[in-house]
Amino acid sequence: MSESVRIVQLYPVELGITGDRGNVRALQVRLERGGVAVEVQRVGTGDAIPADTDILIFGNGPLSAMRGVIDDLRDRAAQLESFVDEGGSLLAVGGSAELLSERVEPLEGDPVAGLGIFPFTVQRTRERKVGYVIVDTPDGRVIGFEDHASRWSLGNGALPYGTVSAGRGSFEHAGSRGEIVRRGQAFATNVQGPVLPLNPRWTDAILTSVTTRRGIEWAPGAAHAPLDEHADGARAAIERLVHGKDISSIGL
Amino acid sequence: MMTGAPQARSAGIRYVFPVLAGKLARFATRLRGGGSAFPGYLTNKLSPSLLPTLADQFRYGVVFVLGSNGKTTTTHMISEVLRAHGLTVFTNPTGANLPQGVTSALLADATLTGRIRADVAVLEVDEGYAADLADQLSPAVILSLNVQVDQLYRFYETERVADMMLDASTRASGHVVVNRDDPYLSKIDTTSMRGEVSFFGVSPELVAASAHGLANAADTRSGNTGTLARDAFAEVLSAQGRSVAVRVGDAEAEITLPARGLHYAADAAAALTVAARVLGSDFSASKAATGFARMAPAYGRGEVIPLRRDPAGEQVEFVMFKNAPSLQMNLDALDGSPERALMAIDEGTPDVSWLYDVDFDALRRVDVVTGEKASQLALSLEHAGVEIGVVEPDMEKAVALMRALDPAPSGRQTWFVNYELMMIGRKLLGHGDQEVARR
Ligand SMILES: [Zn+2]
Repeated sequence: MSESVRIVQLYPVELGITGDRGNVRALQVRLERGGVAVEVQRVGTGDAIPADTDILIFGNGPLSAMRGVIDDLRDRAAQLESFVDEGGSLLAVGGSAELLSERVEPLEGDPVAGLGIFPFTVQRTRERKVGYVIVDTPDGRVIGFEDHASRWSLGNGALPYGTVSAGRGSFEHAGSRGEIVRRGQAFATNVQGPVLPLNPRWTDAILTSVTTRRGIEWAPGAAHAPLDEHADGARAAIERLVHGKDISSIGL
Repeated sequence: MMTGAPQARSAGIRYVFPVLAGKLARFATRLRGGGSAFPGYLTNKLSPSLLPTLADQFRYGVVFVLGSNGKTTTTHMISEVLRAHGLTVFTNPTGANLPQGVTSALLADATLTGRIRADVAVLEVDEGYAADLADQLSPAVILSLNVQVDQLYRFYETERVADMMLDASTRASGHVVVNRDDPYLSKIDTTSMRGEVSFFGVSPELVAASAHGLANAADTRSGNTGTLARDAFAEVLSAQGRSVAVRVGDAEAEITLPARGLHYAADAAAALTVAARVLGSDFSASKAATGFARMAPAYGRGEVIPLRRDPAGEQVEFVMFKNAPSLQMNLDALDGSPERALMAIDEGTPDVSWLYDVDFDALRRVDVVTGEKASQLALSLEHAGVEIGVVEPDMEKAVALMRALDPAPSGRQTWFVNYELMMIGRKLLGHGDQEVARR
């Protein structure tokens, strides 16, 4: 078994339009600065996902792109189900999170059956939710930018990861709003920004899970200080803005 | 040399009141400071037929310039090339590209009886309003520059922007001009256009030699993410810094761009195509080159301003970006990593996720990172392995820090800025004038 960690970004051309590469890069840079070798692989339609993949990153894209990759994605349903079931790490943002849900109901056209990796359904809405968002999670406040026209309906057994304390969020659950759904080490969310560079604590929680599982020694250290310093600065600036005035109104 | 506009068919005394009201409203809003959509709105309300009447008077018709990136520059290029052919050109001020802004600008130029004295109108138009405005102004030519991932918070899906441009294009009475190297635009259904379709492009060799091609959006809906092969009426053949050769039909134009970059070369091919279509057999490649030679750089797009108010001293080159493609193309056009660099971004750019789609390999170091979003920018630079000097969110302090650096051996600093901080940066260097008149 190799000592490097393998990160796969799926459909980077079709579902990768909101800086989703940044999530890959945050994981990669934080591993490498801790002395762990990383292999990053971009997987498009028809390409195989390597069996020894440690982390799967899915990004965002328009409905047409979602329809364009769904057949290819369905062919991977069994592989993805067992990957998540066995504790593999996965992050899906926006359109890809919707495809991994049970069903997407667009405003126009037929519903799209998802893979059902996550137990929720998606209703596209006329109303857009655009602006900074903050989610209080067990791994700290997750801060980022949301930009979607959707409402998620959580099914039985769905596990929200944290609650929204600023911004709009994607769903309501047990009297509070949420923006991230968790299953094992897999996460579905509408937080972009991209989310991982801005949230080192969450990123490190993911990496701790991955490296522990693999028996690789890794911990953030001095080499991570500049990353954390800029992340702290960015997070503080966003929190000042969020709490300073209403930022949910972007001039459309 | 062509002089005098033809008499408007229906202009006259009935427009005096609406035009006057609009002009007064315009004067009043100017006194309050800044432009406003209100005068145009008011005039439109008072006389809905005024706008079509004004548009009808341009002997060479109305040209629309659409695109995710490069509208301002290309509008300027077309205007100067047509002027070099002796035409009197009406154009809207930079940024006034919404319907009321266009109306307001037309109003400012109209006589009280609703007459306009120009041969042609070249208008930068926001994609979101292009079709509606076309219904009012009946453009002869509609140019679509490119479809890029941009303003997702506003349009949500890039393909929607493509459809806005393609839909507006069906309304052009004479010519439709589109980018052959754009995946969405290259797939234009030529049979559904009233106007003749002309393509412009960059030679495949130049695109292949560019680190990131032309950075147009991938087509995620047709099953072919790339372009459909098309013959270009105008094609960029070579580009050396600002010197560019473009084949236009059978002629070849040797021109100087206002700023470096393959995206500006593509804009020039677009402008030359439009000018050749507007002028027909009167088009001259050498006159076109004269037009380009007269172009001063637009604000912040390759513009050079003294760092310490000393014209003979160290200079600042402004490089403006608005999204990942424009920043990438500007970085790819750099002649080595800048000796002194500032990079600035503020809340005028709400979502900066796209920073992670940019390859910053061309930058070794950024001395000062500034703007409200300085830390978000620094975070992406740090992830990209770019050395960072100081993070200082306050632009005024950032400018002071840049002025305190040792002079660059080249005598030049490079400031990468979004639109809002470009304007503030210019002001802090003593160039506080507003970007209003294009000429
Ligand atoms: Zn000019």
